[in-house]
Amino acid sequence: MTADLLFYLFAACTLVCGFLVIANPFSLNPVTSAMFLVLTMVFLAGLFVLLHAFFLAAIQVLVYAGAVMVLFLFVIMLLDLKAEERRRLKVFGITTGLIAVGAILFIFLNTLAQAPLGASTTPELEGTTMALGKLLFTRYLLPFEVVSVLLLVAMIGAIFLSKKELK
Amino acid sequence: MIPVNYLDLLRLAAPETVVLAGALVVLGVDLLALREVETGLRRLLLLILGAVTCGAAIAWMAAFPNLGNFMQGMLVVTPLTQWVKGGVLALAILTLLLSGGASFTNHWGEYVALLLLSAVGLMFLVSSESLLVIFIALELASLSLYILAAFHHDAPESAEAALKYFLFGSVSAGFMLFGLSLLYGLSGSIDLREIAAALGGPFLDPLLAVAMVTVAVGLGFKIAAAPFHLWAPDVYQAAPPPSAAFIASASKLASFFVLAKVLSVGMGGLEGRAVFGDYLPGWVPLLAALAAASLLWGNLAAIVQTNVRRLIAYSAIAHAGYMLLGIMGGKAGLPALVYYAMTYGFTTLGAFGVASLVRDRVGGDNLSDFAGLSRREPWMAFCMLVFMLSLAGIPPLAGFFGKFYLFAAALKTSSLDLLWLVILAIGMSAVSLYYYLQVLKQIYVVPPPSGLAAAPIPSLPKTVIILAALTVIVLGCAPNLLLRVLAAP
Amino acid sequence: MAEKLDQIFVQAKHELVRWLLCHVPGAWAEVLSALLSIATLLVAFAALFALTTLLERKGLGRIQNRYGPNRVGPFGLLQPVADGIKALTKEDVVPRAADQVVHFIAPLVLVVPVFLALAVLPVGRNMVVVDLDAGLLFFFAVGAATELSVFMAGWSSRNKYSLLGAMRAIAQMISYEVPLILSAVTVVMMAGSLSTVRIVEVQAGFSGWLPHWHVLTPWGLAGFLLFLIAAAAEANRCPFDLPEGESEIIAGYYIEYSGFKFALFFLGEYIGLFAVSGLAITLFLGGWTAPLPFVQWVPSYVWFFLKLLSLIAFFIWVRGTLPRLRMDQLMSFAWKFMLPLSLINLLAAGLWRFLPEGLTRWAFCSLLLAAAYIGLGRSLVQRRNLGRRTYRFAE
Repeated sequence: MTADLLFYLFAACTLVCGFLVIANPFSLNPVTSAMFLVLTMVFLAGLFVLLHAFFLAAIQVLVYAGAVMVLFLFVIMLLDLKAEERRRLKVFGITTGLIAVGAILFIFLNTLAQAPLGASTTPELEGTTMALGKLLFTRYLLPFEVVSVLLLVAMIGAIFLSKKELK
Repeated sequence: MIPVNYLDLLRLAAPETVVLAGALVVLGVDLLALREVETGLRRLLLLILGAVTCGAAIAWMAAFPNLGNFMQGMLVVTPLTQWVKGGVLALAILTLLLSGGASFTNHWGEYVALLLLSAVGLMFLVSSESLLVIFIALELASLSLYILAAFHHDAPESAEAALKYFLFGSVSAGFMLFGLSLLYGLSGSIDLREIAAALGGPFLDPLLAVAMVTVAVGLGFKIAAAPFHLWAPDVYQAAPPPSAAFIASASKLASFFVLAKVLSVGMGGLEGRAVFGDYLPGWVPLLAALAAASLLWGNLAAIVQTNVRRLIAYSAIAHAGYMLLGIMGGKAGLPALVYYAMTYGFTTLGAFGVASLVRDRVGGDNLSDFAGLSRREPWMAFCMLVFMLSLAGIPPLAGFFGKFYLFAAALKTSSLDLLWLVILAIGMSAVSLYYYLQVLKQIYVVPPPSGLAAAPIPSLPKTVIILAALTVIVLGCAPNLLLRVLAAP
Repeated sequence: MAEKLDQIFVQAKHELVRWLLCHVPGAWAEVLSALLSIATLLVAFAALFALTTLLERKGLGRIQNRYGPNRVGPFGLLQPVADGIKALTKEDVVPRAADQVVHFIAPLVLVVPVFLALAVLPVGRNMVVVDLDAGLLFFFAVGAATELSVFMAGWSSRNKYSLLGAMRAIAQMISYEVPLILSAVTVVMMAGSLSTVRIVEVQAGFSGWLPHWHVLTPWGLAGFLLFLIAAAAEANRCPFDLPEGESEIIAGYYIEYSGFKFALFFLGEYIGLFAVSGLAITLFLGGWTAPLPFVQWVPSYVWFFLKLLSLIAFFIWVRGTLPRLRMDQLMSFAWKFMLPLSLINLLAAGLWRFLPEGLTRWAFCSLLLAAAYIGLGRSLVQRRNLGRRTYRFAE
């Protein structure tokens, strides 16, 4: 019961903050958006906690709310982004966007109505560090290793693209 | 706890491991040993090191053909995937050697390493049947290619093209991830075969339709099919030529293969029917719409292009349309698709090579810059003739047989359902002849501008172009050489 | 008797909860218990904060050949109270251009997470607020909020010194967080758990007179030193106090804060220092365990706070003696020395785990670490990163 209530609370907060990231009616400053993104990440971590995935929740906060967001803010600060000017909304973009969103919403509602979701199942394994580690080094070993190569590429790219040629 | 045989994994992933190790060695050697070496020599050494690595991986696959399936589809090695991986590696070698005369950067270590790493990504993409690995490998390949597209540090166009590529790419990756997560939610598995078993068919759940469309958006971007092609002209035109050639050839080959695999293995039974009056939702109608749009838009837009690389880009969009026909041919169409994608890869690579040589020489790669190429460089002009005619689908070149087998595969399935699309494709092939001949007219008919100083052509790219042309001719004259091994079970 | 003294707080809490349960429904037991633990923790560490401000000023005064505060109360003991009253009664000035909301939230974002981090520290036997399976990660995760707070403070003030201070602070924190976590990972590898309670339990026990503390192994010693240096940088303590370098950028990111908000920043910084020192104690110095077998009768929490106070004294001593680093020195020290050394330390810890017990593994791991230390140190000095700075554009 409490868990259900918390789920709705966290989910609603995640959605509201996510909405405020992209369309904040009060402030057009990119920094405000970034801070709402932090909140979104924190509430997502809360959802992980409700799934008993404490490790993932901690990592979510550590990596996203901590490192990634701070770097985001750093870049925003260094680029000295001014508050975005209010853009003129294009009728074409708005209409097609609304149609697409409406269609997907309709499909989701339809599906939910057709197949009411059963009682929530308990997670297959508790999100303990040990269980997660074992999975990462057995079943998901290959994707885990490929991700490390992916990070290497990102690192080379970031250094190469941002480094000035001083000659 | 699941027992894992790590040696097994190493054995199956040996070619990828070799290329990855090669990339690390290239980075290390460049950083530690070649810092003081003069740029030309350094470039040559690194390119050769990279090419040797790819060659070693091919040799390994030929010498130790280990087949198998690691961890329920995480890594699935079959003879067909071996051939496709071989194709990717061969294209990587040619791309590396094509860069021999280029001067767009001084950071050759990073360039070669990124090229090899993107090849690793493409190889994993080809040989996995797990949604997770497919997505990660796709990202690995894409990320390297974004950087490769931006490698011309002094050219703002290169950065612009890379940025467009990156933005479109990340949005479509987001779409694809959304679709994959829906697929996982609907089936409860990340293994393509289990997904197919769980989804069944032929009834199409609306949610599944959303998943199908979003996955098609994600992969449609990689193959530059029509509504998702907007990045292609800019990248083909403005990225450094070897990078663009690799994006146009190897990346396309692997992406088509994985699209075919996701649809025919993961959604087998959900084909649907794309016939007027007897329509059944599924992925065949979806692909048919993409194919028709690509054929029309690619071919018609190519007619008005004045830049050869941009023209090749639009022709690439059109070719994506042809190749989608092969996917609709189901599993029987797969060898035809791979044959077409491979020969197409060699052809485009060669065409990019010639365009790059002309650009180095004349200072541009507009149509008018090709004027009188036959009198300046008869061999290069002849190679371009081969490439253009092969792209147009003139026998006895590889392009003709490729198209022939694709159309045959599309017609063979499902009792002439796709006849309308094949007729459209043949009609559009005829249209395409016009703009390919425009290029050849410039090369063979229009006299060269006066006052062009003769300059020697670097021998490495020249060899590569001639090799590519030879491949196109040989595979065109004897398509069975490749088709037979591809079709072998 | 010793047992009773050791568990006196735990027992007291249980009694109190039992008494309270006579008045409230039984479902509240856990909540009450947690609230009591939290309240005790808050009071204890707030008192420690007051004590430390005094100690620091006195200690620095002695190092600088002066008395330090000695007017308020006996030996100046009431100085923290006077400071508190002053902070409370001062006018709270907010710059007109500042982003009001962010400016207001920033100190809270600092103070709340650092107190949260204390929750996973076992301050005595059975004395931890929550024993999480991923306790160590929780600590680092909430610690990440300090970076955010620093950024919010620096950015929202609309002051170039604040912004410069925030940029310095974030660059420094991100750089030093890597060796900090990597050196903590060695302990996780050994204990086989991320739970702080479990990590302390692993270190309880003696071989002869020697306790099983991690700091008494080669990798543990190296890890402890790395951790301590990185912790000083994370807490913006001297010699890594560039973000608030008074002589350069006045007070860094909290230049535009006054009154109580400034006091909150002050509090947050000190509690952060306590938390990270407490973690160092938990990871390497055996947590609440006694250093020698025959003093085990002393209650566990006494040991913890004694160790904490000695670490604080160490930090005060360092602040009084070392000069401030330069930004480029700070960065190259983090990336070219700390990071590789902590990676090698990780390797050494792995070897230690798998080599047979005995003198060989001692010799092997020590040699490896010593060689790495000498090699990295030499290369750092030779590249003149710690030497005189040459300017590319100025001059």
